[in-house]
Amino acid sequence: MTRELKFDSPSFVQRLKGMLGVDFYRLFHTPLFYIFLAIAAVIPAMILGTMGAEGAEQLYTNTWHIIAAPTPLYVVNGIAEYANMNMVFIFGGIMVSVFIGHDYKSGYVKQLFTTHAKKQDYMISKSLTCAFAMACMCITYLLGAVGAGLFAGTSFEINVGSLICAVLGKMIMSLGWASLYTFLNVIFRKFFGISIASSFFFGTGILIIGAAAILGNNSLLNIFLYGSSVYACLSANIVTVLVCLVCSVAWAVIYNVLGTKLLYASDVY
Amino acid sequence: MNAIEIRNLTKSFGPKQAVSGLNMTVPEGAIYGFIGENGSGKSTTEKIICGLIHPSGGTVKLYGKDHTDADVRAGVGVLIEAPGCFPNYSVWNNMMLQAANLGIKNAEQEVVKVLKTVRMEGAASNKYKNCSLGMKQRIGIAMALLGNPSLLVLDEPINGLDADGMRIMREVLVDVTKNGCTVVVSSHILGELEKIATHYGIIRGGKMLCEMTAEQLEASCRTYTALQAKDMSRAKALLACKYSRVEQDEAGYIRVYDAPSPEEIVTHLYENGILVSEIKTDKIGLEEYYIDLMKEGK
Repeated sequence: MTRELKFDSPSFVQRLKGMLGVDFYRLFHTPLFYIFLAIAAVIPAMILGTMGAEGAEQLYTNTWHIIAAPTPLYVVNGIAEYANMNMVFIFGGIMVSVFIGHDYKSGYVKQLFTTHAKKQDYMISKSLTCAFAMACMCITYLLGAVGAGLFAGTSFEINVGSLICAVLGKMIMSLGWASLYTFLNVIFRKFFGISIASSFFFGTGILIIGAAAILGNNSLLNIFLYGSSVYACLSANIVTVLVCLVCSVAWAVIYNVLGTKLLYASDVY
Repeated sequence: MNAIEIRNLTKSFGPKQAVSGLNMTVPEGAIYGFIGENGSGKSTTEKIICGLIHPSGGTVKLYGKDHTDADVRAGVGVLIEAPGCFPNYSVWNNMMLQAANLGIKNAEQEVVKVLKTVRMEGAASNKYKNCSLGMKQRIGIAMALLGNPSLLVLDEPINGLDADGMRIMREVLVDVTKNGCTVVVSSHILGELEKIATHYGIIRGGKMLCEMTAEQLEASCRTYTALQAKDMSRAKALLACKYSRVEQDEAGYIRVYDAPSPEEIVTHLYENGILVSEIKTDKIGLEEYYIDLMKEGK
């Protein structure tokens, strides 16, 4: 018996909807997500916990300094200056590596790419899901900072508008960071350890910090992910948010295109 | 229209040529037994058909369209090696996730249907990691059947199955072809494959040695006469002098291949003082045909 063959694949929106549904289901059902949310919430408490340490006391008289630097500060003089919400992007990178690494370990990508799924759908879906996860980590970091500040009795004095713009800017940057990590994990998909190491390496922003050491506090660094993330500081305004939005979306597009091309050009599994 | 048409397919991994100039034609509605030794290029070919790896050269067409065409891919169900399931999720959840990826509208009904097809409806709530190898293979088939595919590509689906599991798998594959589905199945368990395959392709060293229908295989399988006599070693020696190929099989029978008639053998042995206690004629199966072919190739 033969049957009439119909070759109709779902539209882009249908495909993405299905894939996002799967990725968000996985995200909400993996303990890893909640562990990293908890880690993000605990980090501020850990930072404030160092207040008794020599030299650390003066840096954190204001609770919001745990969220961001008072002004854009690309050159880091001490490790304590580095300790703010940008750290979420390091932990986020590790979470993304484990999340995507599991796609390959379980053989899910094999199941996915033998169907109508397109490579760009995969990149977009992972980037969006992981961006959401990292934005959630930013929120728990913020809540953790408030809790830690109340506990430590540090000042809460701040321009609320700037604080909102700074937090919003960093949350927006999650998309760019998530796309970078997705891309890195696509490159090193067969080497889980290297995926995590590379995510950690880029997440620390060490390249931008290095560049800043040479160039100084140059606003040109804002075009990079880490630069924009630093730019979203406590003196942020609506322009800062727009800069973060443009930078985040631009890098997301670049990394998604590169990741898609790489997946098309190489053997998937 | 052919379900699969491959021409001059090549694939190399660095200096190693996994597939070299392979041609393959799978007619629509066939159960195509894809046979070859380990490392002969079966899995590589199947992965190329499934779009998991890129060919180095040649063309792969599915239903007349390029194999990477998303529309065609929507009609392909696949089980390559183990199914791609999340170990900590239940069978049901894994199936539902795949249904979501495929954009199946009545996902729950569809999942119930395919789980029933592979007789796994009772294990839907089991965690995938707790399933036996045989159950996992059946889940893989169920996953491949989601969305009512036109083409199923199955790599070693009966590995690890018990006798009942193999029977179920046979029934499932025959059932799906009744609905017009085409099945490409590779396996080393040739006896099982022989029971269902309508077409065969034998691959060696990345090249297709031969393709044939089940009828052509039947016609080209050599006949033999198997016998038992009182003095087996002398009987074997006598027959070996007269016929080109005489062997003793695992059951202890002397096999005389391509002998004109059993009567002639019996007479010949009788004239030399040997009485035949049992004699029968038969044809070699796929397994022996395959082994012969491989020996000839060597």
